[in-house]
Amino acid sequence: MSWQIVRALIAKDFRLFFRNRFFAFITVLALVTYIVIYFVMPRTVDETLELAVYAPVPPPILEQVGAQGLDLEFMESEEQLRDVVASGEYVAGVVFPPDLMDKLMSGEKGQLDVYFGTDTPDDVQDAIVVILEELAYLQTGQMLTVRVSAEMLGRDMVGAQIPLRDRLVPMLAVIILLMEMLGLASLISTEVTGGTVQALLVTPMTIRGLFAAKLTMGASLAFGQVVLFMAVTGGLNQQPLIIILALLLGAFMSTGIGFLVASGSKEMTTVMAWGFPALIILTVPAFGVLAPGTVSGWVKAVPSYYLVDAVHQAANFNAGWSDVWDNLLMLLGFDVLFVWLGIVVLGRKLR
Amino acid sequence: MAGDAIVAEELTYSYGQLLAVDHVSFRVAEGEILGFLGPNGAGKSTTVKMLTGQLRPRSGRATLLGIDVAREAEKVQARIGVCFELPNLYEQMSAAENLTLFARLFGVKSFNATDLLKRVGLGGREHDRVEGYSKGMKQRLMVARSLVNQPSILFLDEPTEGLDPTSSETIRNIILQERERGATVFLTTHDMMEADKLSDRVAFINQGHIVALDTPHNLKQQYGKRALKAQVATPDGGLESREIVLDRPETASDVRDLFGKERVITVHSEEASLEDIFIDITGRGLVG
Repeated sequence: MSWQIVRALIAKDFRLFFRNRFFAFITVLALVTYIVIYFVMPRTVDETLELAVYAPVPPPILEQVGAQGLDLEFMESEEQLRDVVASGEYVAGVVFPPDLMDKLMSGEKGQLDVYFGTDTPDDVQDAIVVILEELAYLQTGQMLTVRVSAEMLGRDMVGAQIPLRDRLVPMLAVIILLMEMLGLASLISTEVTGGTVQALLVTPMTIRGLFAAKLTMGASLAFGQVVLFMAVTGGLNQQPLIIILALLLGAFMSTGIGFLVASGSKEMTTVMAWGFPALIILTVPAFGVLAPGTVSGWVKAVPSYYLVDAVHQAANFNAGWSDVWDNLLMLLGFDVLFVWLGIVVLGRKLR
Repeated sequence: MAGDAIVAEELTYSYGQLLAVDHVSFRVAEGEILGFLGPNGAGKSTTVKMLTGQLRPRSGRATLLGIDVAREAEKVQARIGVCFELPNLYEQMSAAENLTLFARLFGVKSFNATDLLKRVGLGGREHDRVEGYSKGMKQRLMVARSLVNQPSILFLDEPTEGLDPTSSETIRNIILQERERGATVFLTTHDMMEADKLSDRVAFINQGHIVALDTPHNLKQQYGKRALKAQVATPDGGLESREIVLDRPETASDVRDLFGKERVITVHSEEASLEDIFIDITGRGLVG
């Protein structure tokens, strides 16, 4: 395999990629859009929760509730409270029975009814329950019975919420890599359909040289863009080496998937037909970062999970090598698998 | 005496159950133009693919310039030029960029795209993107691309199909110039006139077999039907055709009868074409 030939092919591929007005436009537009999306998202999280309260006889603990980051709005009836919670106007509603304080002061167990909207995240439910229980205990020395049972999921982020835009970063990074996967697949399928690959294969260029060029071009194009995106959005401020390595591995994975998509495609339409389902599936793990608790354990079967998780942990939690080495190892494994599979399947088509 | 540039020995290839090329053997001398003729699906392209290292034969062997194609495809490919039937150029690159890319792939040290493009009649258009070229211009560029490494063997697949007479003539001249330079030309075509005019020898391939291989002259001698064609006047003022096959015992009396009994308007001799010979040998036409 001659590196002079590989260099000539890489230069040709870059020239063709940027002379394709559609891809050149989409590449620049997408990158700018993602960066803009990041910066228009709020960079802080409002941790005050709005609660609806029905308390015919307001107990003293309510005065302290406001200090715990809960913003209270009093309702005139329990029915009204249920309505506003059901409509999503408030994340939760708490009913304080009129005899609550009497019971607590006499040493009996009191009971609160807490209503949550169906879309109230589990960790928010837990936080509210914990706050109410603690306040009651501090004031009366009695534990409350709160008629909601919930299990705390994920990290306890009270006081350290990650802004939405930082949660978006892994998703946008994955999308950038996968968009380049579509671009590479389209470039290859156009070459196969147009017969230019056939012309290349009757020169001293070997099929190994061809794949070396495509792999280098595909991975560097994807990697370059995603690193630029991360640098502009401040995503490399923490653990840059880990993040850069994860992104590099992600770029190779997307290139391998690009080979597979190209092997089943004839032109842009079929590239989209194969590529978009892959893109959607591979973006799913990023939703788990965006909205914790919305995806279940099977998401670990999606190869991009290990990229998303490594980037999320490193960028948003300052996780070190010992925290993400298993993610990087899995990612490397998927790289080898997809690149090998892509070369075998696409190689058969080219031959 | 020139050696053999191409040697095919018992070349065989099948696509699944379909036997495309069946134990084909032939030799092409250095500096020779071989016309390779056959209808679609006869095995022409498969044979060319095996000779150029694109396909590995199921059995048999091909050597080009003494090098085994299957074992050392890269070495062979460094010394051949291939012009495909359908344009497969990088349309978003200019003609000069297309040629320069291939010159780099061939490792050509000092390459002048402009000179080569002038030779194929594309001088002055070298920096235009290929997407704006006409079919004839693309075909001429394809021929130019096959010449960037000054190949010892040139494979041309239907190089003049569908082209205007000027473009066709340019390409025919280049083929002859290449032979003058000493290159061997393997010319695949449907155009019998072109094959007849350019080829030193022609090979007919049908259903994966070489069914005839000789000079056009010898083939016509061997298989051709010579005839005399005449137009005679009919009593009602019309015209009728008459054909007298030559080289038969009754030919002389047939000719006497024609001129004695009929009013001959025109008469001319007719020589068998390669197409006629192909039909005679295979029972089928070259096209389709």
